[in-house]
Amino acid sequence: MSENVSDAEPAATPATTGPTATPGTPGTPGTPGGTGAWSYRTGSWLAVFGPQAAIVLPASQKDQVVALWATVDGGAGFDEVLDGLLASGLSRIPGFVLISTHPDGPTRFLLRGTGVVATVTSGGTGGTGGTGSAGETVTVDGAASHTWVEQTVDDVTALTITLPDESGDASGAGSGSAGSGADFAIDTGLVRVGRIDRPSVVGTSATEAPEAPAVPEVPDVPVVTPAVVDVPDDGPLTEVMEVVDEPLVGDPLTDPLPVAESAEAAELAAEPDAEPAAEATPEPAPEPAPEPEPAPEPAPDGWVTPWDQPAAVDPEPTPSVLPLDAGAGTGAATEVAPPGWIPPPPPGVPVPTPDAAPDAPPLPIGSWEPVTGAYPPPPAPPAPPTPSAPAAPAAPGLPGVEHDGHTVVGGGEPPSPPIPGIPGQPQVPAVTQPVAQLLVSDGQTIVVDRAVLIGRAPEARRFTSTEQPTLVTVPSRLHEISSTHVEVRPGTGADLGTAVVTDMGSTNGTVLVQPGLGPEDLKPGIAVQLIPGAIINLGDGVTIQVTRP
Amino acid sequence: MTHVELHHGAATDVGLVRQANEDAYLATPPVFVVADGMGGHDRGDIASAFVVEEFARLAEGRYDLERGTAVVDATLQAVQDRLLAYDAEQRAAGAGDTFAAGTTAVIALLVESPDGPRWLLANVGDSRIYRFSEGELEQVSVDHSVVQELVDAGRLTPAAAAVHPSRNVVTRALGGAAMPSSVSGAADYFLLPLSAVERLVLCSDGVSGMIDDPSIAEILARHDDPRDAADALVAAAVAAGGHDNATAVVVDVVGLAHEDPYDSAAQRMSLEQKLGALP
Repeated sequence: MSENVSDAEPAATPATTGPTATPGTPGTPGTPGGTGAWSYRTGSWLAVFGPQAAIVLPASQKDQVVALWATVDGGAGFDEVLDGLLASGLSRIPGFVLISTHPDGPTRFLLRGTGVVATVTSGGTGGTGGTGSAGETVTVDGAASHTWVEQTVDDVTALTITLPDESGDASGAGSGSAGSGADFAIDTGLVRVGRIDRPSVVGTSATEAPEAPAVPEVPDVPVVTPAVVDVPDDGPLTEVMEVVDEPLVGDPLTDPLPVAESAEAAELAAEPDAEPAAEATPEPAPEPAPEPEPAPEPAPDGWVTPWDQPAAVDPEPTPSVLPLDAGAGTGAATEVAPPGWIPPPPPGVPVPTPDAAPDAPPLPIGSWEPVTGAYPPPPAPPAPPTPSAPAAPAAPGLPGVEHDGHTVVGGGEPPSPPIPGIPGQPQVPAVTQPVAQLLVSDGQTIVVDRAVLIGRAPEARRFTSTEQPTLVTVPSRLHEISSTHVEVRPGTGADLGTAVVTDMGSTNGTVLVQPGLGPEDLKPGIAVQLIPGAIINLGDGVTIQVTRP
Repeated sequence: MTHVELHHGAATDVGLVRQANEDAYLATPPVFVVADGMGGHDRGDIASAFVVEEFARLAEGRYDLERGTAVVDATLQAVQDRLLAYDAEQRAAGAGDTFAAGTTAVIALLVESPDGPRWLLANVGDSRIYRFSEGELEQVSVDHSVVQELVDAGRLTPAAAAVHPSRNVVTRALGGAAMPSSVSGAADYFLLPLSAVERLVLCSDGVSGMIDDPSIAEILARHDDPRDAADALVAAAVAAGGHDNATAVVVDVVGLAHEDPYDSAAQRMSLEQKLGALP
């Protein structure tokens, strides 16, 4: 941080950066009246900031974070995110922070884990909270409860949450000792954090204020409190205080806004040195520049973590986050408000952006698009014979000869892959990791790591020597169960990692009861994904319970 | 394992057109094989003989589910290896660069499993495996042939396939690695519970290509003794034209027939009762 500061000050060459900044690329430091911008410092934890809620999880919960990103970024509220978070069980999550940021309601937050500490200041600027008196500051420790600690505070003017670093020691709230000193502003996105502040403290330090040419341009910024540029509902004072404590790299005034630009500008600028983008605000450019940004150039030396990592996790959030990082030597850039800077539109106004903006329509819950970047291709149907196939017979040397009993090998005919037993269904995959376990009511336990055929006298058709299916015979005194009644196998494509069940054309049908859903009659040949806890009823009193492997 | 008694019969005929019988069969419980040496290639009789010789090693053995599949796979590979070696040998002896012996194969091996004995069936090429239960004939194997692929792709009806000019072209065969387009020798496997198969039929396309399925079913129903049934199938194929070598192996599971009725009849009865269709 000290480095940053020192760099920043000398780097009073904002002018250079200003011009280079891409005009017309509005950053959205803070959206006035809407959800306030956050700021964060880098660390090992993973944070997802959304329009209505923010969640922070340890690095070990990367999968959870990815899964929750779509939910949070899609505008999910506190309760919905909590549901998603706890779906896999509280015990698996060593620590977390969940914060409701709904503009109209009180600030609610949950803390869990040792070293997870929140410092909340309420009522700073005239708000009269029911639960908090003016200017009151409270510190809450996530370790205080075995499960979690919940707080609801009205009129929050400043909220700071510090997270223990990887080694386990927690940095004190507001101590400014967090590992990386630079604060980056963010509205929405997914980043690695060691500490988060709300509203953003980026640019609140006064030192460089004078340099900020951007100030006038900032529509939202109250002149009186230039320091807290991006804070919509800010209690300027308190924040300033905090900010001051922390070695802030940036320039208090300008940054939030300019930052955005400067950030981008910085990116564009080939030489980081020229423009120290010190506080490079991770500008959430929720509505990134109308003009699509050129592909990010390789990060200069100074560029660090926040940029690349979130991107690596998930390409999509990147555009929204754009944290420029205040790597050493990039300090000053933020100060400069690029001349061409245009104030970001109000949050509600959709800005045409080539890239998916965070404000874009919420992704469907559970969407995996961000993870894979593309939907798995539909299972390829069995390759139809090439058009030339019919002509093939001629090749072997018996052209035009009427069938005389000579069996010949088809020239030009590609070796066909095994064709699935059910047309239109994906090919039965080879042996996989176990994806589920089946508990049959007669006491059998079967691991689903390949196709499992279940019935009164099951038959397996057309498999290869390496993917022999498991055959499970179940009793059927009344013969209500067909010989090969259902198949359960590891899913492919969109069902990857789960088990799917298919009725094999049974005489009396199959009833599936998924957790939380009503009974469903399986359609023959149509695979249905199984959720742990599902019950498959074959009739004749035989049921199969699906559990995790 | 409960002792399973298998009765079997087998028959083969050179037919009315071909000069040599390139089919071969093996009927030595618990393994049954029919191989159809390919007439379009040199020495199909040698190729089919290799199949029988290799699978004869499995006779009198006992196999469980996992081992059965592995043994059949290994045996097919052994056949493949011998065929390639034979090809090389013949080429070296001046048989020409295109010399390549090939054969189809259908195999039935009785295997044990915790749920009782099963038939492990394997197929390479266009020879066939049928099962005959409750008076109904069902083709179990799926031909590796051009016409079958057209049928699977919905471009040909089964009826049209039976008279398609390309119906003698197979897409997989043993010895295929030396053949055009590196034909695959990989087998498809099938597992059937013994109780679901009263009678198993293995035959070359000299039978299934000359007489249709209803005729086959009628012959199987008419002859209780599997030896008679096999003879009758081959005789019928020859009588129908005998364009190719005709070979059939028929295997009965003794004591099984009709004692464990196939559920469909019982279920149909139940449905009729539910619907009030019965008097």
